[in-house]
Amino acid sequence: MSAARIPRAARVRRSRLPFRGDLLSRIAVVLLVVFALVAVLGPLLPLGDPQAINVGPRLSGPSGEFLAGTDSLGRSLLPRLAQGLRTTFLLAGVAVLLTAAVSVVLGMVAAYFGGVVGELIARTADVFFAFPAILLAILVVTVSGPGIVGAVVAIALICSPMMIRVVRAAALSVVGRDFVTAARVGGARPWRILFVHVLPNVAGAAIVQGTYALSVGILLESALSFLGLGVQPPEASLGSLVHEGAVYLSIAPWLVLIPGVLLALVIMSVNLLGDGLRDRLDVRAVEVRR
Amino acid sequence: MSRDLVLEARELELEYRTREGRVRSLDSASLTVRAGEITALVGESGSGKSTLGMAAGRLLAGNAEHVGGSLEVAGVSVFACTDERLRALRRATLGFVFQNPVAALDPTMRVARQMELVGILGAEATRALEEVGLRDISRVLRAYPHELSGGMAARVGIAMALGRDPRLLIADEPTAAVDATLREQILELLVERCREHGCALLLLTHDLHAVAHHCTQIAVMYGGRVVEDGPTGEVLAAPLHPYTRALLSALPGEERPGERLESIRGVPPVLRGPSPGCAFSPRCPHVMEHCPHVRPLHAPVEESRAVCCHLFTGELGARAGVPEAAGLAGSAVSSRPADDRPKEAR
Repeated sequence: MSAARIPRAARVRRSRLPFRGDLLSRIAVVLLVVFALVAVLGPLLPLGDPQAINVGPRLSGPSGEFLAGTDSLGRSLLPRLAQGLRTTFLLAGVAVLLTAAVSVVLGMVAAYFGGVVGELIARTADVFFAFPAILLAILVVTVSGPGIVGAVVAIALICSPMMIRVVRAAALSVVGRDFVTAARVGGARPWRILFVHVLPNVAGAAIVQGTYALSVGILLESALSFLGLGVQPPEASLGSLVHEGAVYLSIAPWLVLIPGVLLALVIMSVNLLGDGLRDRLDVRAVEVRR
Repeated sequence: MSRDLVLEARELELEYRTREGRVRSLDSASLTVRAGEITALVGESGSGKSTLGMAAGRLLAGNAEHVGGSLEVAGVSVFACTDERLRALRRATLGFVFQNPVAALDPTMRVARQMELVGILGAEATRALEEVGLRDISRVLRAYPHELSGGMAARVGIAMALGRDPRLLIADEPTAAVDATLREQILELLVERCREHGCALLLLTHDLHAVAHHCTQIAVMYGGRVVEDGPTGEVLAAPLHPYTRALLSALPGEERPGERLESIRGVPPVLRGPSPGCAFSPRCPHVMEHCPHVRPLHAPVEESRAVCCHLFTGELGARAGVPEAAGLAGSAVSSRPADDRPKEAR
């Protein structure tokens, strides 16, 4: 009786948490959940007003009153960090969703129809892929003007080529398989084949690539904001916080260190999550198991 | 075209564009399949049988090109009709059974959903699965393809192909990837189901034993042409074309102990364009002077058979009647020294 009960209880406990036996991915998930909660609930948390100036002495180090210290305008850094996290997540997230939507469709179309259309999509992606990322971002922002829209478009444009290639490669191995032919015999139209049969088969690859795109997106957003091309003051993002703090690096290193470490942790977590997902979704076999 | 033909290929020519140039896969292939008939299409790998099978639904790879001839399925010209007409034709007339039964099912969907997508719903799905001898239907319907055994997947594939009541089912080596013990069962099931549905079956295969057992008609392909066709019994009992004869003598099972199993020497041709003469002539033991240069006609012999060989047609004119033709073949044999040494070769 008890012998039967113990394994069952163990099984239930184990299956509750994702990534069984994969400690790094678990840590990543926990960190990401915490970051995401801070980002979403930031304005509701009793951290203070991120934009109120002179709430304390200028450039004071982390203390009991100001946990992360204050900046050159006497603003508390802690609420600004929460806001920065929120902006960074939001911008990169929107950009990655845009990337995924565009790239998945283009990648599948390129693989399924092949020929001139397929080559055109694949080669255009290659050209963008070969272009230096930051240069491309600066170009886009120059055209659109500094701000959120430019940053989102730039991130999408930079992340898309890689994702198109990955989705196309995965789709290529799917479109030639018998069940796709069977669907064609069954009289299915191309769009139905793409979205009903091909999409679920490339979803694993797309999701994993999406997490990598997210980390690239976060990094790019920070880079653009650091260069002053992304989020405009007084709004804060992790990149703009590093940018603002860089001037005072020698006298107030926490202004750079805290957002910098935070940024590194976010990106590391996203990457670890991506690795975990890749192992779980068995992307190489392009077979999603649920 | 007469009413009861579900497939009629007339001098069909198909080429694949490859990096090394064009490869001619069908070189004036002619084949007819009558409604409800079980026809075998046999030939070596590369003989063009899969190309012909896939051409019936215009399901060829993107680099395939229709060069000449016509192909009609249920009276619709496959290479001349609009995409929409083709879609309707595939849906209403054609069914395919593939070599690898598991790969023919979408790994991301439950069986029930897949059947639903091809239009087999609810009770109909249950009935279709019962028909192919599956038990525990509710479990099968809820299963993902990787949860099915090869034999079960093959049965599901057959049920899905026949569930829409096609008029022509094309099975491309349906038993090649199945366990040897299941082969006979699956083939038996396929033939029996087709008979019951009144659906014509075009069976692409290497397995002449199975052909002899199940099929009423046989067509032998070589180098992109149908070199001989007719009722299975007659063709296998008295093969006319030297290739058919070679194929039969290469078949294990009939030899006596100590006797060497004969193989066909040489390799099948890769055609870059229309073959100038008979494609089999380099390997043919009865090759005549004009064989490599003059294309033999696909000509009727007897009532129901046709053969594509200069021994029977060509410059000598169409010769009807097996005894006479066989006599001619016999004389050709004795006049060729090549024919006397196959056994001790190698």
